[in-house]
Amino acid sequence: MWVATARLLLEDAVPDSLALPRVDIDATFGAELVEDARRYERFLVIDWIVAQVVLLAVLWVYAKRGVRFIAQSAAGRIGTGMMLGMLGLGIVWLVQLPFGAAALWWERRHDTTEIGYLEWAFGDWLALGASFLAISLALLIVMALAGWLREWWWIPGAGAFVAIAALLTFVSPYLVETKPLGDAGLVQAAREYEREQGIGEIPLRVEEVSGDTSDANAYATGLGPTRRVILWDTLIDGRFDDGAERTVIAHEVAHHSSRHLPKSLAWFGMFALPAAWLLMRLTRRRGGMQAPEAVPLALLVVAVIQLVAAPFQSAISRSMEMEADWKALTSTRDPEGARELFVGFAETGLGDPSPPGWQQLLLGTHPTLADRVAMAEAWKVMRTP
Amino acid sequence: MTPRLLVPRAQHNVCVDAVPPSAPSRADLRPIRLVVTDDCERSRLTVFFRGILAVPHLVWILLWGVAAFAVAFVVWLAVLFEGRAPRTLHGFIASYVRYGVHLGAYLALAANPYPGFTGQPGYPVDVEIDPPQTQGRWGAGFRLVLAVPALLLATVLGGGFQGGGSTSVDPGLWTDGTSFGSLGTSIGGVVAIVALLGWFSCLARGRMPRGMRDLAAYAIGYGAQTYGYALLLTSRYPSSDPSLVHPAELPEHPVRITVTDPLRRSRLTVFFRLLLALPLFVWAMLWTVAVALAAFLAWLAALATGRVPRPLQRFLAAFVRFLAHLDAFVYLVGGPFPGFTGAAGSYPIDVTIEPAGQQRRLVTCFRLFLAVPAFLLASGYGGVLLVVAVLGWFAALFTGRMPSGLRDIGAAGVRYNAQTRAYMLLGTDRYPNATPFLRGKARSEELALNLELGVDPVGEAT
Repeated sequence: MWVATARLLLEDAVPDSLALPRVDIDATFGAELVEDARRYERFLVIDWIVAQVVLLAVLWVYAKRGVRFIAQSAAGRIGTGMMLGMLGLGIVWLVQLPFGAAALWWERRHDTTEIGYLEWAFGDWLALGASFLAISLALLIVMALAGWLREWWWIPGAGAFVAIAALLTFVSPYLVETKPLGDAGLVQAAREYEREQGIGEIPLRVEEVSGDTSDANAYATGLGPTRRVILWDTLIDGRFDDGAERTVIAHEVAHHSSRHLPKSLAWFGMFALPAAWLLMRLTRRRGGMQAPEAVPLALLVVAVIQLVAAPFQSAISRSMEMEADWKALTSTRDPEGARELFVGFAETGLGDPSPPGWQQLLLGTHPTLADRVAMAEAWKVMRTP
Repeated sequence: MTPRLLVPRAQHNVCVDAVPPSAPSRADLRPIRLVVTDDCERSRLTVFFRGILAVPHLVWILLWGVAAFAVAFVVWLAVLFEGRAPRTLHGFIASYVRYGVHLGAYLALAANPYPGFTGQPGYPVDVEIDPPQTQGRWGAGFRLVLAVPALLLATVLGGGFQGGGSTSVDPGLWTDGTSFGSLGTSIGGVVAIVALLGWFSCLARGRMPRGMRDLAAYAIGYGAQTYGYALLLTSRYPSSDPSLVHPAELPEHPVRITVTDPLRRSRLTVFFRLLLALPLFVWAMLWTVAVALAAFLAWLAALATGRVPRPLQRFLAAFVRFLAHLDAFVYLVGGPFPGFTGAAGSYPIDVTIEPAGQQRRLVTCFRLFLAVPAFLLASGYGGVLLVVAVLGWFAALFTGRMPSGLRDIGAAGVRYNAQTRAYMLLGTDRYPNATPFLRGKARSEELALNLELGVDPVGEAT
């Protein structure tokens, strides 16, 4: 059933016969830019790898010794579990700080971010507070269910997490400060793409991020009546031409027309169920998830599961992005605009157009920029009689 | 009236309302000691004109302050070179500090008589200051820097008298509490609120409420210790332990605090303290919604029958206890992570709430308005708790322990907040008592009898 559902979810609009031509990366993006981008990304990837190793090591130690912090709680079973969960995240945050700071230093050095160190540290505290609340809620659900259902908590537990994810997706457009897109031409283009892709009107909004980064981006968000397409103001600041901007809008509309957000939730559920089962099995020797003693070990298990699942999640994400790219090309009929956009991404964000295969497998949530340019070329070839 | 002093170093790990103090030990006497012989009686006329009557003193202390500043500089040099302050100069500054205490007490309505201009001993709120002792040169050299934490606490307590250049009851106007830039008398923080509330109370009743007087005296005493330390009268760091003030008498109150905290702190939970409290804050907000409804129902019931139904009373008491545990955790007064249910006896900083019996309907009817002064004072205690948390955070991170003095004044703040909430939520119709003491002379006959018979009056906490 799992495989059948997966096959159903993986169906997309990209023709099976599509073969991507080889792209001359140096000629397309410029040899100097490619070299700069590779050097830039290499540092960030190494930083990430070391951070993951340290993360697992720290969680390993915490899984072994974190139980001693039970003495620091006067709360009951669930409250103590929450405290242990938050402390675990706190320790992880502390040991990850140097890696975050190193990445920020590197990004500032390459002018890909405007964020200052103080601003980053302060914002990081806010993010940590949010993650403390999130893990408290997660542990409240899991430990309460485990106290009630014992080893069967993972079935309703996974369902509860999917429900929360759906709720967050539904309300997420309201959690970001945005304003309506003022460019009447782009709005008009969006309406055309929506008609072409067979969906109703979706509001176009602009989020101001230019104070933090020079990266250009956009995203589709919301579910049902809260669906939105949100463009970063860095995308419409004049660095990209009209064709590139229209390609982005068509791409984000395609995410909605292909129902990628509900599909992502479905994928989340499909991963959450076995992950919850695994968590239940592996925490048995600590008394199961109803016991606070199991929480430090549970953090390690979740981290490992996330790491193992990362290639699969990246592959699913890449498949969706590829479909959106294809539908965008079909809607705009402007491969030159797409090409301009993807080359622009490499310039503004110093993204490596063709990263190593293992890196793409593990971290690549989008097709490589080279592949995206290749798709534009392929579309042009297919349209040529 | 015989002056009675101060100063037992109490058992810091276990303290409870209404536990008699241990016997004062000479070895534990501090070099700057507060002496309170005030009887709380006030003359309404002098209270009414108190601020105006103090004007000559304010001019005088300003002038004296300039001289004291110059002398303190000479004393600083003397301590750096000789390791000890010259006796004459020490006496000059000691008189100035004592005079500041008298004037501060007069302005804060902690004492009644018009103070003299020379700082002679014998005022109802007074300090005793030891003769000069040998002081460490390093400590003296960096005295002002070292004094900053104590000055911070003195500022929020508002018991300072040498720090500001103007007289003000607004804590925000305490402009230079950490410098000697201008000298004079300034009252702010908790003492300012006590003075404001006390002014109305004294005019109405001709008496200063005992709890508020004790709080003002304590704050002024802490200010004297702080400025005595900063001005090199002593090298002993100020202690915020309320039990250093004597005579400490605890009034009977249905909302009491029990402190069984061992002072040890886990550095990790201290470092993340505020973030760890986030789920508790969320829970408190959700609970507050239900409490608002329950309190309204309790109010209606108390108006109709004179009593709050027991289930409602238990529900509201659990909420008050939960918030007390939360306060204690957030402000580092308590160590462990508290529970979410406000269960009695579940936390080392706990409040006991005696079930309320018959309540006066008139008091019940206007409870919200009557609680306003208590909320004002609670806000003052809130400032103290904030400084306790900040100072305690650094101290606990470095030493793995919470300083007992900070813990105890913090516990007093937690108790006052709990009493205020219990009063507002109809848990009791007894007005909150502002006293900072956690331990004191036993006042109930039953308690005294128990003590005579060797029976532990407070059970598990002692």
